[in-house]
Amino acid sequence: MRRMRSLRLKVNGDEVEVGAPDHWTLLEVLRYRLGLIGSKQGCDKGDCGACTVLVDGAPVLSCLTLAALAEGREVTTIEGLMPAHVARGGAGADPVQDAFDRCGALQCGFCQPGMMLSARALLDRTPFPTREEIQQALAGNLCRCTGYTQIFQAVEQVAAEAAGIEPAEPTWATYREAGQQPSPRARGVKGEDA
Amino acid sequence: MLRLPRFALERPRTVAEAVALLADPDREALLVAGGTDLLPNMKHGLFEPDVLVSLEDVDELRAVEVDADGWLSIGAMTTLADVAADERVVARAPALAQAVSLISGPQLRTMGTLGGNVMLDTRCQWYNQTYFWRKSLGFCLKKDGTVCHVVAGGRKCVAAASNDSAPALMSLSALVDVEGPEGRRTLPVDDLWLADGIWNKKLGKGEVLVRVRVPPQAAGHRGAYGKLRDRGSIDFPLLGVAARLDVGDDGAVADADLVAVALAARPVRVRGARERLVGARPGEASFREAVEAVADEAHRRLTPLENVPGDAEYRAAMVPVYVRRTLLAAAEGAGPVHHL
Amino acid sequence: MAARDNHGTGAPWDDAFRVVGQPLRKVDGLAKATGQALYADDVQLPGMLHAKILRSPHAHARIVSIDASAALALPGVHAVITGADLPIRYGVIPWTPDENALAVDKVRFVGDEVAAVAAVDEDTANAALDAIEVEYEPLHAFLDPREALATPEPQIHADIRGKPVRGNVSKHVELEFGDVEAALAGADLVLEGEYSFHGSTHAPIEPHCAVAQVSADGLLTLWSSTQITHYVHRALAQVLELAPERIRVIQPCLGGAFGGKSDPFALEFCVALLAQRTGRPVKMLWTREEVFYAHRGRHPMQMQYRCGAKSNGRITGVDARILIDGGSYSSFGLVTTYYSGQLLTGPYDFPSYRFDSTRVFTNKPPCGPKRGHGSVQPRFAFEVQFDEVAERLGIDPIEIRRVNFQGDDTQTVNGQRITSNGFLRCLDLVEEASGWKQRRGQLPYGRGLGVAGSMYISGTNYPVYPNDMPQAGIQLKLDRSGVVTVFTGGNDIGQGSNTVVRSIVAEELGVAYDHVRVVAADTDLCPVDLGAYSSRITFMVGNATIDACRKLRHQIVTALAEAWEVDPRRIRLMEGRAFDVEDPDRTVPTREAFQVAEARFDTLGSTGSYNTPQLGGDYRGGTIGASPAYSFTAHVVEVDVDVETGIVRVPAAWCAHDCGRALNPTLVAGQIEGSTYMGLAEALLEEHGVNRFGLHRGPSLLDYRMPTSLDVGDIHAMIVESVDPEGPYGAKEAGEGPLHGSIPALANAIHDAIGVRLRHLPFTPGTVLRALRDQGGKGEGAAVGSTAAATSKREAR
Repeated sequence: MRRMRSLRLKVNGDEVEVGAPDHWTLLEVLRYRLGLIGSKQGCDKGDCGACTVLVDGAPVLSCLTLAALAEGREVTTIEGLMPAHVARGGAGADPVQDAFDRCGALQCGFCQPGMMLSARALLDRTPFPTREEIQQALAGNLCRCTGYTQIFQAVEQVAAEAAGIEPAEPTWATYREAGQQPSPRARGVKGEDA
Repeated sequence: MLRLPRFALERPRTVAEAVALLADPDREALLVAGGTDLLPNMKHGLFEPDVLVSLEDVDELRAVEVDADGWLSIGAMTTLADVAADERVVARAPALAQAVSLISGPQLRTMGTLGGNVMLDTRCQWYNQTYFWRKSLGFCLKKDGTVCHVVAGGRKCVAAASNDSAPALMSLSALVDVEGPEGRRTLPVDDLWLADGIWNKKLGKGEVLVRVRVPPQAAGHRGAYGKLRDRGSIDFPLLGVAARLDVGDDGAVADADLVAVALAARPVRVRGARERLVGARPGEASFREAVEAVADEAHRRLTPLENVPGDAEYRAAMVPVYVRRTLLAAAEGAGPVHHL
Repeated sequence: MAARDNHGTGAPWDDAFRVVGQPLRKVDGLAKATGQALYADDVQLPGMLHAKILRSPHAHARIVSIDASAALALPGVHAVITGADLPIRYGVIPWTPDENALAVDKVRFVGDEVAAVAAVDEDTANAALDAIEVEYEPLHAFLDPREALATPEPQIHADIRGKPVRGNVSKHVELEFGDVEAALAGADLVLEGEYSFHGSTHAPIEPHCAVAQVSADGLLTLWSSTQITHYVHRALAQVLELAPERIRVIQPCLGGAFGGKSDPFALEFCVALLAQRTGRPVKMLWTREEVFYAHRGRHPMQMQYRCGAKSNGRITGVDARILIDGGSYSSFGLVTTYYSGQLLTGPYDFPSYRFDSTRVFTNKPPCGPKRGHGSVQPRFAFEVQFDEVAERLGIDPIEIRRVNFQGDDTQTVNGQRITSNGFLRCLDLVEEASGWKQRRGQLPYGRGLGVAGSMYISGTNYPVYPNDMPQAGIQLKLDRSGVVTVFTGGNDIGQGSNTVVRSIVAEELGVAYDHVRVVAADTDLCPVDLGAYSSRITFMVGNATIDACRKLRHQIVTALAEAWEVDPRRIRLMEGRAFDVEDPDRTVPTREAFQVAEARFDTLGSTGSYNTPQLGGDYRGGTIGASPAYSFTAHVVEVDVDVETGIVRVPAAWCAHDCGRALNPTLVAGQIEGSTYMGLAEALLEEHGVNRFGLHRGPSLLDYRMPTSLDVGDIHAMIVESVDPEGPYGAKEAGEGPLHGSIPALANAIHDAIGVRLRHLPFTPGTVLRALRDQGGKGEGAAVGSTAAATSKREAR
């Protein structure tokens, strides 16, 4: 019954050969055989989406994909986005990664490799998604830090920049000035520095 | 990480090869399609096969076709995402397209298959748990134990059919083609189910679900699916309702069907719904009254148990609401009915 | 290094900030975005073993015997340890050490740790767990806190730190400020009500993980997904009886915490001991189920409140009685019990106040500090009752909050010093942005708006172990390349504290933002910081960072002034350059300025630190909850209630939060949005509870219903900057305060929408429907001596 398979996988454009038992998932092979630790494990069993990778361009859960069944498919992990962007003539991170960083969408960052891959796949098929389409496309990726707002803004910013339009301003920026309040110190009350 | 138990993986290329692998008397084999139900269940120690027979490479199971007689045929390995997006499915079987579009989340619809959802294991809050968890309370009737924690003293497992596709297919009078050691056979999807939560299908151990066939629907066919769940995504149904209304040329309902899921071990047809709805005219008061009567009837007949997580009393209260809303959505050519 | 340095709240160079206040990238953002960031489970060491824990299947039982011989005999199993191997008890609060890494003599909840195995892989370790034989003698399990309070036997804990426990009472605090009974007697309206708050948990997406390695000469290194490196360091030394200098604790990138990783946990001790026993690195990664058992989440509370008010809306007194369900261990429970009362005394002026809080042990996963530790539950109860006071008195709910505003530069009834207080501005912003004046009362039945206010601490001057050393330390190293490396013990748990440190250094030393490297949360490399809890890091580490920078800045400026032969006051360090403000052509890159300074003063480095001033009331417990500065928040929540299904949707929520100066508004907005989301989530969808067997009802991310992207509405974050005299450049906390008001504002919005007062969380659809059904009945908030008639929205329309 114990069987080790030699798998030929195509990961981030590279053909790699790796040995793994049949009961190993793609996530385990990526993380613990290939060292592609960007794919995360959050829930053990397909409930959270942290392990999302692209298989033939579509987001799937690598924790519920048997590694052997990924043979013959194109697997893209989070580590594959920047090299692909550079290979297309871009500089630095993929625009999705860059926008997530700029917009504050990466707090703990643990769910975000999966989230960004879902977002990348969405933008590949729908370059100018509505908020509703973004929400639908990311509905299999749980985030615990952001409340999703800055994630939505990041995806919208990628689309806006691609279209050459100004991205919408976050609420805090609109109310920035209204929120300024002089301190008690400035008004000359006690609490002064020693 | 929660681990899969060891098994050997087989990758047949034809249904016949798969059937042969399942028939091997020396090795316990299970079919795996998308793996989105079976693999979590295996991680929970609910299944420990020697062999997993993957249908991934069986190309004949993937086609969606409409034949000359208007039958819509969907191969068992067609992904849920493909089913939901297929214009032929949307046009000919709207309740099915709607139901499938609400299964779990985007990744699982890309991975999961229609065949896998039809064959979904029943679910229960006392069953879909880890081995440690289940062992801590002495297991249950469905797996490894003798006691039912849902029904005190219960001898029959009441784990709930939780597949959104099932009521939709029943409302469409679909057929399923299966292949086993004895060859192929066809049965109405209605006849697929048993009222036994331990294993609620009548398929034999060695049989493979090949495809689902939806008969041509009446010209005035309208269908919808309603799903109650806590979140807008990911969750299994707390209640699912599929409705079919065939509206005749005269504007009156000529035929109708109503089937619910996530209540008992098998999907449940609401008896009397057809009789009450036939003859009523959508858009007129008679229809609204008929719908109310069906909703009341469903409320009386359908009693959710505390099998799936959450508040059974609340789910009971939602039966008439979801029945009514789904019927009204069907009549308007709308749906799905979902809280978002 | 004193209570507070004298660096002021203004920009370090002239009038304007160059870095602070900008929405800049995070120091680790691109590493996280590209998959390069390393988290605990990403640590892979040669020859590493994998460890697993055997857990109790009983909620309460005596351990009769443990036989691990069969497990040890399995091929590939390298070690098995039990409670006998780690007999020393610990606890994050040194007054209540009641935990063992592995159970000694008895188990106290389903999931309590009993034994640990290290094996060649996880499958083998799991097989070994199955082979361990444990005989238990079950004891009566307490699942209901009221029963635990009323029933002294069997005791869940007999004694803690040598002191006998009274029955099953974990902690009791009763404090009164002013004469509450007299104040209530003098009120025009007194409301009395019962409220309850259910359990919820943090559920960070990263499960707990720890890796230990022991060098040939006995040095122990632990990588752990912890938010309290320093306390883990201390606890390891204590439990392993190892000198602290033999231990190094490192927090890699952390995949979320929210208070759920702020205790020392069994896995940290187990991997350490197993690494010692086997001579090999050992990793333990918990399953999601185990994370639910580790818990330390929100304490369920049953609360009775009385609130007296004058007819003009002014509060006369508040009286609270609270029963806290602590679960099976103390954790932070001593502090929780104080916080349940101590943190309610703002932003409103309470002329008198009393609380009586009792935390009991039960045989459930231990509760602890979840975001907004201890004060989210009472805030819910009070703000809902206060809303009802407004309703009874016919006062606009925002207006009554204005009327009772305590002001800034003041003191609370329980002796806490309030410095800056931007609460009124917070109210103004949420009122305006939500369209409150135009829309409230004009929305159709089923839709409504609700408001709530709150306050929270920016750290506390109560370090969990008494000492006179600083709470936060910083070390700076300047390199000839122009790079500044900052060493901080602060735990960046995703909130961005390392980015705050980077921003301050770039501002102070005028170096380019990306010339600042941050090395954090490594006990060998970094000066001590107490950790990421009580919303203390930006405030305390931020102040320490300024302190360290000013020392170096002085050296650089002095050296440059000497070299240029100008008055040092003419030197500026800004945006990567040093220049003479009166002769701007005289300029060098900061790199060269560093070199000049290094030549003048030798190798450049500095330290900085922060400790809190003496604060708090002069009574037992008066320092718990005493913070150098408080944040203030106002929420308006809009709801859309489907009265047929009871499903409550939140199309929009507005949160204005006074965080003092916003050092990075993108990060502040992220904290406001994440907090508001988390509060609404636990109110509407989430529940951490046990079934009749004491088993967690659904320890998975399927059954624990965290919102998906489809379950959130628009969350509008607004920042109020009431520059605080105590904070770094005037900054205060932002990570926990903005959770509090979201829940009562939701409850108040539901009342506005459908006329039903919900006093018991969670607001599941079933609860809402039952409340609607019972609407005609007399509510619990029955007025005593009411002078105003209640009008429900239904009647009003």
